[in-house]
Amino acid sequence: MLSFQLLIAALATGSVYALIAVGLNLIYGTMRLLNVAHGDLVMLGAYATYWSFSLLHVDPLIAVPFVGLLAAGIGAAAYFFLFQHFLRTGSLTDRIEANSLLVFFGLSIAIENLASLAFSGNPQAYEYLDRVIRIGSASIVGNRLAALIIALCTCIGVLLFFRLTTLGLAVRAIIQSRDAAEIVGVSARKTYLLTFCIGFGLAGMTGAVVSLYSQIWPFMGFSYTIVGFVIIILGGLGNIVGSIVGGLLLGVLETFGVAAVGANYRSILIYGVFIAIIIIRPQGLFGTKSTAR
Amino acid sequence: MRPLHDVRIIIAALVTTAAVVVGVLFFASDYFIDFATSLAMWIALSESWTLLSGMTGYVSLGHVVFFGLGGYLTVLTFGMLPIWAALALSGACATGLAVLVGFPCFRVRGPYFVILTFGLSEFVKYIVVNVEARASKFGRLIFGGPDPNEVFLIMVGLAVAAFFLSYFIRRSRLGAGLRGIREDEIAAETTGVPVARLKLIAFGLSALIPGIAGGAFLFRSGYFEPIQAFNPSISFSMITMAVIGGTDDAYGPLIGAVALVTLSELLWANAPEIYMTVLGLLLVVFVIWVPDGIEGRLRNWWKTQRA
Repeated sequence: MLSFQLLIAALATGSVYALIAVGLNLIYGTMRLLNVAHGDLVMLGAYATYWSFSLLHVDPLIAVPFVGLLAAGIGAAAYFFLFQHFLRTGSLTDRIEANSLLVFFGLSIAIENLASLAFSGNPQAYEYLDRVIRIGSASIVGNRLAALIIALCTCIGVLLFFRLTTLGLAVRAIIQSRDAAEIVGVSARKTYLLTFCIGFGLAGMTGAVVSLYSQIWPFMGFSYTIVGFVIIILGGLGNIVGSIVGGLLLGVLETFGVAAVGANYRSILIYGVFIAIIIIRPQGLFGTKSTAR
Repeated sequence: MRPLHDVRIIIAALVTTAAVVVGVLFFASDYFIDFATSLAMWIALSESWTLLSGMTGYVSLGHVVFFGLGGYLTVLTFGMLPIWAALALSGACATGLAVLVGFPCFRVRGPYFVILTFGLSEFVKYIVVNVEARASKFGRLIFGGPDPNEVFLIMVGLAVAAFFLSYFIRRSRLGAGLRGIREDEIAAETTGVPVARLKLIAFGLSALIPGIAGGAFLFRSGYFEPIQAFNPSISFSMITMAVIGGTDDAYGPLIGAVALVTLSELLWANAPEIYMTVLGLLLVVFVIWVPDGIEGRLRNWWKTQRA
């Protein structure tokens, strides 16, 4: 069972999962907003890459950062038009989790259905780097390998950003304690805007990466959002490193689980892990009791 | 509590409902009966959703799980149990499921509950999908269920029950406790509100009627298919109706359901995607700019008129 081949496959799935979860968790950690529309940004990113490849013949690997920037722009717009008002209005921030969930849920449904109107409901895909590459005893399709490398590099990049830069430090400070961070001069508002851009941008990039190897369709986002939720619960809400570890772990669990019981049970497996974690260890694998609020 | 006022409201509501029911049964076309059944069902569903989510602020994004479960149990027991027993079983199992999953996750605060409801409905959906696939059933048809008029009466009964449940809980000790949880859970707990128990009760009650409605809906469609019965857009529709109407009082979801079911009749047949897009945007607009909903706006307007 524990073959090198499966491990590579698990890494390929897990690295993309980690990328999804990091963006989702960043926004939750800083603002306590659960972005239910995260998966729909993934979908939009995937379509953007698909169109730029099939209409403009842009190499998908080159498109990845641009799609990320585009999605970051959408994030900034969402912040300015919807959530700035939100974070300012007292009656809304009092119940920010419940209210923001509803807003994101509404956005998600609207985006999905608009996309279905605009792009048609049929799944699309393109062929890119579909040669099989051998690594030792294992083999992997080229586009999967590319996705793995991009996702891992981006995750590491995000980690380094948070460890090494002042801006990253500011975001971490806000996550730890918003009030204390504001007292020492961190602008909460600027940090929020930055977080929205990074979070949405990462979602868009994930979409570009996913489109390399998988079919895309307007309602694909929901399952990515769910996967993201599973991981951030697994790794701990607001814990960025936890998300990356959790993503890789879920990739391993899914790949080995599917190999053991069959692909039909994939969804049951993921949601089963999810419900088990919430019930047995809601503070996450690495969390302590006090961080579970 | 204003007993006299309540009695008047009850009588007014019952008389109006009875008049509408008689009118529909004797004069309306088949199409209109279908529309009225659908309206009654959505009133029942969105009123039920507010019992937990409107009152406590614990948003459930997966209420369809109770609706689908009710449908599944009813189709499984069809022919073996009398209709009323199947519907009662559906309601009881939905409540049981809510209490079972609510028990562990209400112990922690925050978003865990929300994420759980989101995943739970999909979890149950895929279990049912796989069980059905194993049994080589790809959709089940029902023959010889109650006729449309009876289904209509059942749905109206559910709508009335949900409305009064919602109306009286808001005016009861339980309702005060639930509202306390929404405003400040820690303060409520400190002042002796049994927070965990109240949340469980509210979750159980809000699952009851959707469970029964899921069973009754089966007789209207005559068909059970898990992907449709557990479709997340059903949760989404009940949430949007409740939020647009307003979740502060029992009239809110009623108004929201009437508005959106009518809109859906106008748009759904030709453009389901446009309908869902409009619903999504309406939800965003109402949460941010009209958080007290149509009912809240009307109430404020009424107050200023009288002052």
